[in-house]
Amino acid sequence: MASILVVDDEVEVGEAIRRVLTQAGFSCAVVTNAEAGLRAIDENPPDIVVTDVIMPKIHGLELCKILRSRYPRVRVIAISGGGSFGAQAYKPDAISTHAYLAAAREAGAQEILTKPFDLSDLLAAVRRQLPN
Amino acid sequence: MERLINSLHGRLLGVVLVINAALAPLLYLGVAAIVQDGYAELFVNSVRSYSRLVADQLETVPEREFESRAKDVLDDFELSGQVVFAEITDGERKVHGTISPLVPPQQRGDDFHFGEHSDQVYYISHTLKSGDHQAVLRLGFDESPTFERIAAAKHHVLRAILAFAVASFLVALWLSAVIARPMERLQEAAKAIAGGEVRTALETQSSIREVVDLSRHLDHMRRELVGTSERLQNEIRERAVSEEKRLDLERRLQHRERIATIGTLAGGVAHEFNNIMTPILLYSQVALDEVPTDSAVAADLTRIVAAAHRARSLVTRILTFSREMDSQQSAVFALAPTVEEAVALVRAIMPANIEIVVDARADTVPVFGDPSLVHQIVLNLCTNAYQAMRGSGGRLGLRLAASADPARTGRAGDFALLEVSDTGHGMEPAVMAHIFEPFFTTREVGEGTGLGLSVVHGIVSTMGGSITVESTPGVGTTFCVFLPGAPEQSQQQPSAAQDVA
Repeated sequence: MASILVVDDEVEVGEAIRRVLTQAGFSCAVVTNAEAGLRAIDENPPDIVVTDVIMPKIHGLELCKILRSRYPRVRVIAISGGGSFGAQAYKPDAISTHAYLAAAREAGAQEILTKPFDLSDLLAAVRRQLPN
Repeated sequence: MERLINSLHGRLLGVVLVINAALAPLLYLGVAAIVQDGYAELFVNSVRSYSRLVADQLETVPEREFESRAKDVLDDFELSGQVVFAEITDGERKVHGTISPLVPPQQRGDDFHFGEHSDQVYYISHTLKSGDHQAVLRLGFDESPTFERIAAAKHHVLRAILAFAVASFLVALWLSAVIARPMERLQEAAKAIAGGEVRTALETQSSIREVVDLSRHLDHMRRELVGTSERLQNEIRERAVSEEKRLDLERRLQHRERIATIGTLAGGVAHEFNNIMTPILLYSQVALDEVPTDSAVAADLTRIVAAAHRARSLVTRILTFSREMDSQQSAVFALAPTVEEAVALVRAIMPANIEIVVDARADTVPVFGDPSLVHQIVLNLCTNAYQAMRGSGGRLGLRLAASADPARTGRAGDFALLEVSDTGHGMEPAVMAHIFEPFFTTREVGEGTGLGLSVVHGIVSTMGGSITVESTPGVGTTFCVFLPGAPEQSQQQPSAAQDVA
């Protein structure tokens, strides 16, 4: 059974993701900051880490970079709340969401999702990143 | 009246009048005296000659015929009209001319001067000698014809003097008209110019050189005046235009600031809001999987999901609204004018202690993208430079240059280099390593979003370019933005957009 670690300082968001992933049959743990996440990963590296970008102390981008260097096999899905992005090019005001999700990609995240995402989008992203 | 006295007309006519009034009587009196003296002398001379003639004739009369002949002679002379009294006294005998019965005043002797007596008769006596016989001839001449002649001559003189006076008056009138009329016309023209009617050329038809010269000088002045006033008007117009431009820039800046504020606010709200919406959407969708699809709960949950989707699109719309500014399409454009536009905005917000030096003369390749994003690059880099020089002041430099050095641009090809430098506090290498990361800021909470440079980085990446930074603490910082030339970039554009999706 694939194991997933969720890192999000918004407790309700983390819990909701766990609920979805557990329901879908994944083994899922939730932590509310990157330090706790790193400790959990050190103990038992998961298959996938779902991480928020904006968090106190160590933010999601930092976490992505650490995971890329220390655990290159761990897949990362970066999530963040914000405005629209997609086919449109960089626009000054949508830049925040866009910029840090793009930065997350550069830092090593394989998937990026904008909050609030649909259950189906989350599951699709997770399934794409699993080996089989 | 005072106007008339002070006018050229009045002066000239007045002078002529005074001269005439003073001179004409003197002239008249003088000429009249000469005329009278002349006539009187003529009269006296002729009377004397005449009486001599009479005496001579009488002296030739023989003694014995004297009585009868004398009367005839006297009558003859009386008949000639000049003599109004003739008498010969010979001892006790008196012979009278018969024609004039004039009785002379007995007391009167001979006259010496013309018009000595009011009876207008001039008496003259001659002693007649014929052998030893003596008689006295006394003749009286009428003075009145000569008086009439003198009066007539005086009359002529008077008329001539009057004619002269009138003529001189007319000449004065003509002269004053010749001088004064062009002057008046000039005066009217000057008045019109003073009243603002400066377009009409000043022309005076006059044969007087001084008036023509004056007119020419005045017209020269008028032309100068017209030129000056046109220059002034142009200046005022230009000033109004530049003021309008400044106001327009200010409006655009305010608009941008407002949009930026809305964007920041909307971004912050959206972030919170989307975090809240995430569990709502996910729990509803999980719950939907666990209830029968035709149940009332499923219907309720579907409505919640639909509402959550609406909320999500609302946030998107708010962010789209805040993005409305300058939503230009991507295009090939020259950097220099775009950079200069942005610099105009920068100038409007920079304090006086920051000197802005722009060198956008270089001939750089045109680039492909949204010009408003280049504005954004310039504004963000300049804002950063300003923050680094705040308080101390300094020099903000912008420079455009061509660059085709792969060692600097990252790959081969023609690039446009936009260099933004400041003389601010500079950065430590530890800080420099993080400046392009989102949310990285060295400023106090609330002063900066920490997104400025990451925005620049994002835009530059999207346009297929690169950005480098050099900084020395205490000396300053220089950002170099390399943007690829248009043909290359327009090919790269789709892949960059995909990368974002």
